[in-house]
Formats: sequence, C-alpha cells, structure tokens
Amino acid sequence: MVFLFIVIPLLVAAFLPLIGKFSKKLIPDVLTNAALAFLLFNSILLVKPVFNQGSVVQNVNWFGEKINLQIALDGFNLFMLFTISLVSLGISLFSIDYLEHYGYKANFYALLLVMIAGMNGLVLVPDLFSIYLFMEVAAVASYALVAFGLGSDELEASFKYLMLSVVASAFVLLSITIIFGLTGSLNFQAVAQALQDLNARYVVGVCVAFFIMGFGLKAALVPFHAWLPDAHPSAPAPISAMLSGLLIKVSGIYALFRIVYSVIGMTPVLSQVLMAMGTISLVVAAFLALGQKDIKRMLAYSSISQVGYIVLGLALGTPLGIAGGLFHLFNHAVAKGLLFLNSGSIQHITGTRNLDELGGLGKLVPITAGTNLVGALSITGVPPLAGFWSKLIIIIALIQAKQFGYALVAILASILTLWYYLLIQRKAFFGKTNPKWLHLKEAPFWMSAANVILALICILVGIFFTPVFKTWISPAAEALAQGIQHVLMWGI
Amino acid sequence: MVIQTLLLCGLIIFSGLAIIFKDLLKAALSLAVASLCLGIIFFRLGAPYAGVFEISVVAGLITVLFILTIALTKKEREIKEANLTRIAFPLFFILFLIIDGLVMKSLLQKVPALPSEPEAGIFGEVLWKQRTFDLVAQIGVILAGVLAVLALFRKKEDEKDE
Amino acid sequence: MSNLWFFYLFFSAVLIFIGIYCLLTMHNLIRLFIAVEIISKGVSLALVATGAVKKSVLLAQSLAITYIVVEVSLVATALAIIINIYKKNKSLDVRLLSKLKG
Repeated sequence: MVFLFIVIPLLVAAFLPLIGKFSKKLIPDVLTNAALAFLLFNSILLVKPVFNQGSVVQNVNWFGEKINLQIALDGFNLFMLFTISLVSLGISLFSIDYLEHYGYKANFYALLLVMIAGMNGLVLVPDLFSIYLFMEVAAVASYALVAFGLGSDELEASFKYLMLSVVASAFVLLSITIIFGLTGSLNFQAVAQALQDLNARYVVGVCVAFFIMGFGLKAALVPFHAWLPDAHPSAPAPISAMLSGLLIKVSGIYALFRIVYSVIGMTPVLSQVLMAMGTISLVVAAFLALGQKDIKRMLAYSSISQVGYIVLGLALGTPLGIAGGLFHLFNHAVAKGLLFLNSGSIQHITGTRNLDELGGLGKLVPITAGTNLVGALSITGVPPLAGFWSKLIIIIALIQAKQFGYALVAILASILTLWYYLLIQRKAFFGKTNPKWLHLKEAPFWMSAANVILALICILVGIFFTPVFKTWISPAAEALAQGIQHVLMWGI
Repeated sequence: MVIQTLLLCGLIIFSGLAIIFKDLLKAALSLAVASLCLGIIFFRLGAPYAGVFEISVVAGLITVLFILTIALTKKEREIKEANLTRIAFPLFFILFLIIDGLVMKSLLQKVPALPSEPEAGIFGEVLWKQRTFDLVAQIGVILAGVLAVLALFRKKEDEKDE
Repeated sequence: MSNLWFFYLFFSAVLIFIGIYCLLTMHNLIRLFIAVEIISKGVSLALVATGAVKKSVLLAQSLAITYIVVEVSLVATALAIIINIYKKNKSLDVRLLSKLKG
C-alpha cells in the first residue's frame, strides 16, 4: 500500500525515543534500517502497476468507512520515491557508526525518520495545501538536525537557515491562498481545470513569482542561496548528505516543477525565466566554489551549481530535456550523498576538513579515496559513470531546442566543475603524504559499506543506463511533459 | 463593518508597537494583544473555531513560550538598536500604506474568480473527512517539534569545545 | 472579485511588510522571531479572509487551524535554538553570529 510510505517512518519515529531508553544502540539501528529497506523494496515493487496503468490513484479505507485520503502515483512520484528511499537507506547505514560522535542515537534516528516521512508525504499527495504542510514537517525536522551537535557553528547556521526558510514558507502559503481565492479549491485536478477556464494570466503570474521565491529558497537557487553554504557544512555528515542530496530537491525542485507543469502549465516566458535562473546558479556557484578550503563548503557550493543544472534541464520543456534533468537529479542525489558521507569519513579519520592540512591519504585509506574518486567523477560527468549520461542528455536537449548559448555555458561550467573537483582529489588523496597521517586506519565498517554501496550504484547506473532510463525516467518525463492534461486524466 | 475596521487597525497598531517597544517583555505582551484582536476578527468573519484556536494557542501558548525564553536569557536583553531604523520605520510604513492602497484599488474588479458554491456540512465533517491527510501531517509536525526540543535540550555527558 | 477581499488583503500585506522590515533591520534575536510571528499573523488573516469571501469558511478554518499547529512547533524549535545560542555566546545580538563567512 502506498500509504505505508508515510505511516511507517512516523510510527517508528514515535516509538524510537521510548525504545532508546532501553537499548541505546542496537535496536534503534536495526529498526530504522529495516524500515528504510522495506520502503525501498516497496518502491521497487510499485514499478509494475505504474508502468502498466499509467497512474495509480488510491483511496484509503479505514475499517470500511471511506475517508478522503487520496494518493496519486504517477511516473514522477514513483521516481522521487525511489530516489528518496535509496539515498536515505545509504545515509542511515552510514549513521550507524558515525553517530558515536554525538550520542543520543535514538533521537537522531527519530528525527531522520520524521524528515523522510515528510518528504514522502510531499511527493505523494495531490493537494496544494498538503504539499505545503509536509514541506513544513520535513523543514522543522531539518532545523533540529542541523543544530544537532550543539556547537556554536551549527547553532548559527541553523538559526540563519530557520529564519530564511520560514519567510519562504510564508510566501508559498500566500501564493496558495491567492490560488484558493481564484479557484475555490485546492486539489490539483480542480485547480488545473479552473485555471484553464479562467483567464487570469496576470494574477497567476504573481502567484508563480511567489512560488519561485519560496521554493527557490528551499532549492537554493541564486539569489536565494545564502543559507546553504553555512548550513550544509556545519551539520553532521549524514545530515549534510540528506539535505544536499534529497531535501533541496524534494521540497524545492519537485514542488516547484510539479506545480508549474501539472497545475499552472508551462509557458515560454516562464521557461526562459527558469532557465536563466538555473544558468546563473550554475555559473555563480561554480566560481564561488573555487576558493574554498573546507571540503564540505566546497561541496555545498557544488550542490548549488548542480541544482542549477537540474533546473536548466527541467525548465526546457521538451521531453528529452525533462528526462535529462530528472536523470541528473537522481545522479546528483546519489553522488552528492556519497561525497558528503565520504567527507564525514575523512573527518572521522583525520579530525579535520581543511584541504591545506590533508595530503596523500590515497595510499592509507584506499576505500575512502576510491569511493570519493568515483563520486567526484560521476558529478563532473566523466564516462562511463552515470553523471556523464545525464549531462550529455541535457546538453543534447539544449542543442536540439536551438538554445546554443545555454549549451555553451553548460559545457564550460562542466569543465569548471571538473577542475575544482580534481583539485580536491589532488590535494587530499594524492601527492605527498603528510607525516601527521601515517598512523591512520580505514573508516569503520558501516561507514565504508555505505560509501561502497553508493559508489557501486554510480558505476552500475552508468554502465546499465538504458534499462534504468526506460523504467524510471521515461515515464516520469512523459508524466511531466504532458502538462496539465496528465493531471486532468487522473479522474480523482 | 466599522468594528471590523477598528479591529484591523488595532491589529496593525499593536504589531507595530511590538517592534518599537524597547523592552522585550512589553513587545511580547503587545503581540498577545494583537493576537486577541485577530481572534475577534476571525469570530466576526464567521470562523469561530479559528478564532478560538488563535486566541488560546497564539495569544496563550506562544506568548508563554516567549516570556519563558525572555526570562531564561535575562542578562543581556537590552541590545542597543540603531535609532535610525526606529525613526525611519514610520516613514517606510506610510510609504508602503500608500503604495499598497493604490495597488489594491487598481486591482478592484479586475481579478476574475470562479463563483463559489455554498458550502455543505459542519466543521467537524470538513476537518475529519475532507482534510484527513492534514491531520496525519499535523501529527508529524508535532512529533518533529517534540523530538527537536528533546534533542536540543539534552544533557551532554562531557562538555567538549567545538 | 468582491471588494471585501482586497480590503482584507490590504491589511494582510501591511502586516507582512512590518514583519519583513523588522527582519531586515533589527538586531535582537528574540525580536527577529517576533517579526516572524507577525508575518504568520498576516498569512493566516489572508487565509481566513479568502475563505470568508469565497463562502467556504469551514475549509479555510481547517487550513488556518492546521497552520497554527505548525506555528507552535516552529516557535518551540526556534526558541530552543535561541536559548542554546544564548548559552554559548552569552548575548542575543545577531551581529555576533557572523563567524561563518566566505
């Protein structure tokens, strides 16, 4: 049942603090990871019904009485569910060992599960106000998780993140209120139908502007990106991976593009505006990433840059562009999650994140170095890893749509990305070994295992990209490209 | 209608006072009075449940939380704000009022909207039957808030400097 | 759309303006959070007023109540963070929170 995606994490999260009083380490670990593995399995099982039917709409019955819990599952939703389940399983495996730094494991897992439940809810529900509500659920959990270590850096970053994020949520709700005033309903299907019948282009334009301000801040598009370079480095490594890999994509990109494509309808002007914003993010963040000394801060700027890439692909409007954008979303989630987890490993082993102090770790900790290399190469787009295919598809789509300027900028920015990633590799892993690190051992088992699993996914998706593309990405791209018609056919 | 306008102006005035007051305690109390005004406005708009919630939760619970925080951070509450912002506030305020009034006036009669059907059912049915998913999300938010407070106020075993 | 809607939206916009102005210029952490509360008052006023004008007050009430519950959770989390910041820095000045830069 699709509803389990939201209920199971919430139930486990509710009981974890109680369980945590009895068993500090073992049972929370087992319970959380089992729950997430079950969700991943479930999301793979759902591929067949969606593939055959097109969209699955479920009404939940509570002891025979029909309550109004509607869940609509189409290609786009399923794709996001799969991505969320996969990356969050990797992150929770990593946390088994990493949390020794912080203690209080049961509470951490509980907050993580609430965040995952919020993201799953956001993805599944076909109603405007519920999207806002689940976004708030995930956001409140993330404020607490960023500040989890209670150090002064973390508290400062969490406070700034909170202030900016609350204003963004207020703008989103304001926009939803205006749409409610125009159409009198909040359901996707009813709103899409009503906006077609009315002809209020000007007011809808204002609403879309508010949505871009609100969701753009959640997705860290330039100029709304100021919170990200502080929040992601200060958070504990699994939380950085979760925020950077999943939260900015689900509550920012998914929500924005779902509303723009399926409810309001993409217009050429909007497409140009979004593509311009994506390109500005891409370039500005790439330049800002060059001068960074802290590994995680550089990865945070790289996240902003790659999100610009994803928005560029998704805003293009052609099925190939959308497919490329979605594929890059998946690749970036896996690879950036891997890189942040890896930086957590490095911090665990050496105790520092400063690039100037690290050096020549490649021979000492081969697993960490190898997985870091795989992640970096995947993001920069080196064949045959997965990132190469997604970037190639976006560039081909741009050329096909005759947007040569954007294609050129995209290629140049890729080269810039390659440069600063290779800089990390050279400084941290290759080169002369700093005598301080000669006595290092490899990272603990679960941390390395999570790294290896995510790296293997990068490699395998790169090699076997055609079946992955046909099963997950094409249905999702079609669902989006059909625009409003797709939602109107749901028949809720 | 006159009472409604008076209440709305009261709401704005008390919210403005909450910023201008130098003492934080007075600012929190002024916010509580503004919530009271908003609650009465909700009553008169035909939304009694929202009014009750607003008064009891926002004017009650949130004000208590604010006063608790102000009490716990007693020593250095008096941060010197720049006088310039305090003087500039009325200027910007009046400027915004003029711009706002003009924009709203120009939008009158220009925004199309669907005619609304009269609503059926009672409040309980609407909340429990139509918006059931929201209740699941509310449980999630409350859970997140409780866990957050538990996590942020935990006792550390040894004080480590970051 | 009926004139009443714009009347309420006018006041709602003023509230949001007050909140954003305070966020941009004030230095005390708790006062910044009072500004956030004012913004949320503006938004809930807009919500209920829209419901009243569209004659679907019941639906708008449920939304407003849900929104207030989310507010409470947010206030609790934010005040917990503020108290922890006070414990670390012994001050509530937001200008002291600028160690992370670059």
